[in-house]
Amino acid sequence: MKSELTKPSIGQTILWLLAGFGIVLVLYRFLMGLGAVTNLSDGYPWGLWIGFDIMAGGALAAGGFVMAGTVYLFGGRKFHALARTAILTAFLGYLLYIFGLCVDLGRPWNIWAAIFFWNRDSPMFEVSWCVMLYTTVLLLEFLPVVFEKYRMEKFQTYWKSFVPWLIIVMLGLFTLAMTYSFIWVFVIVLVLLAWEIAMRTGVMPRDKQMPILLIIAGVMISTMYQASLGSLFLFVPHKLHALWYTPILPLLFLFSAIMTAPAMVTFETLMSENMLKHKANFNLLTSLARVMPYLLGFYLLLKVGDLVVRGAVIEAFMLNGQAVSWWMEITIGIIVPLILFLTPEIRSTRRGLLWSSILVVVGLVWNRLNVSVVGIIVQEWETYYPLWSEIFITVGIISIGLIIFKFAVKNLPIYASETTSSV
Amino acid sequence: MKAMLIDATRCIGCRGCQVSCKEWNNLPSEETEFFASKGYQNPRDLSSKTWTLITYNEVKVRNRFDWVFGKLQCFHCNEPACATACPVHALEKTEAGPVVYNASICLGCRYCQLACPFKVPRFEWEKALPKITKCTMCADRVEAGEEPACSKACPTDAIIFGDRETLIVEAEDRIRNNPRGYVHHIYGKNEVGGTCVMHLSNVPFEELSFATDLPEKSLTDFVKHGMQPIPFVLAGLGVALGAISWIVNRRIENKEKLHSEGGQQ
Repeated sequence: MKSELTKPSIGQTILWLLAGFGIVLVLYRFLMGLGAVTNLSDGYPWGLWIGFDIMAGGALAAGGFVMAGTVYLFGGRKFHALARTAILTAFLGYLLYIFGLCVDLGRPWNIWAAIFFWNRDSPMFEVSWCVMLYTTVLLLEFLPVVFEKYRMEKFQTYWKSFVPWLIIVMLGLFTLAMTYSFIWVFVIVLVLLAWEIAMRTGVMPRDKQMPILLIIAGVMISTMYQASLGSLFLFVPHKLHALWYTPILPLLFLFSAIMTAPAMVTFETLMSENMLKHKANFNLLTSLARVMPYLLGFYLLLKVGDLVVRGAVIEAFMLNGQAVSWWMEITIGIIVPLILFLTPEIRSTRRGLLWSSILVVVGLVWNRLNVSVVGIIVQEWETYYPLWSEIFITVGIISIGLIIFKFAVKNLPIYASETTSSV
Repeated sequence: MKAMLIDATRCIGCRGCQVSCKEWNNLPSEETEFFASKGYQNPRDLSSKTWTLITYNEVKVRNRFDWVFGKLQCFHCNEPACATACPVHALEKTEAGPVVYNASICLGCRYCQLACPFKVPRFEWEKALPKITKCTMCADRVEAGEEPACSKACPTDAIIFGDRETLIVEAEDRIRNNPRGYVHHIYGKNEVGGTCVMHLSNVPFEELSFATDLPEKSLTDFVKHGMQPIPFVLAGLGVALGAISWIVNRRIENKEKLHSEGGQQ
């Protein structure tokens, strides 16, 4: 991926070819059915697309809400320059994610049904609502960039006064869908309304640019969303390997997504540095890197502690593919980057930061693939391996994402805000 | 709640149930394929075209090999994992007992397939406009006061249809009256919270390739703790995030005011 981006002429061509090939395969899939392009079966109905595009893709987009929260809620204003990239990547990520989801869904034309037919007991229902709402939140967070580019000050003002009310309605509906209880809706709406009124009357400080309710909503929905991706697998105690099946799966998913956010932001920033030939603020990245050891260390403790409590440690020392894959996940994604981030000589170089971050990201992807593909064992059924066309459709979707990302950072004022900082 | 009791000791493997199921539900035939694994049935497994199947298992019974026939179909669980997993209630447990499917709102996410402990829901992988398919316990017939097509067709009454409680009593009677002729277990009475299709057998159920390591509580119970805290977390986050933002930004504002004392605001 890296070499393609640094050598624009050849790399760009390859990217366009991969994207084009992916689209051809997607068309073929819609004509001939899922069976024609996948190795999925009734025993293994979920494969690479769910594991990589949905589980891993969704988690990597966590950079958006973590950075937005850090900047606007937790006073990390110096990271403002990084937040815009994170929000853009998250927004693009979610659009591609929805595209990927529509490729994987058997009946995507019915996707609207999730809005009207509610099942509050289903983690999948929660996931679908979170995706819809969070994509809307990201779109709203991203709009100012477009306004800025085309100098639409008027829209900017409308947007600022309109967004909080939209957020209150959205979260109220979400609460109703998840609880079927008007009492809870009342509670949530009251809390949000209280903050908004406090801000409008000047009692509570408000950001001049960004409606705080929008950021709060982004964090709330993302928290729900990351956890619900884990909840999906609570349903399969009979299929998911003991190394990964745990009642705290939602918590592990949430925490690992948050943990990966700084790594993902670092990775994106350094990559776009290559792409745009501009220098990113390196001090910001090193201060992000300083939190990484704590996050990684805590996650490692959580994972190992969970295994010990469940008495499943022995499973890690069995001679089978799952145990090997578990060790790879732990080593590549947690232990090695933990050591790297703890070493000052590595932490303070661009190359060191880039590679340590890549390892964390790879580790997260590996974990999600482990939970949703490697760890799923269906008795008396041939094991699933992705077909080449599944891989090329995923690669195609990623290529489309890179092309759009590059177009966006070149044409929209994503990094401009570093010099003309608006906060 | 209506239910079915299937007694492997009475089944003669005529597959009349398989045929009547296809007839009632308008299911196409399948091409015969040879396969190398356990079982000699035809076709090999349930599919989108075959909603019930008699498996042919060669099992040692009292020191000689014998055919024991098992019946695969939807178990119509009391608390079906598929229906709870479905984001839009496309799969639903009816009060009468059957678990039914409504294609018009199904997204095709296939979460029902992942959640089902019996590998029952089958997807039309080869179709451009696919559906989830499975046995409906002939819900249309049941609603009209009829019994399902398969039990109606069974010549030896190996499949009987009736109220779940009555069938459990009947099954217990059969075991009590012939204790050496049955495994002392009603498969489906307690599995994953109880099912509306129950089985009796003279050989251990794993010989019929039934999953025997399933929990007694419903799979739905494994998910509840992930869903119930949602409103509490939402409300907690709403309060906490607003408060933190207030405190933190107030502090920053004060600092800025100190810095720009006498200057512009």
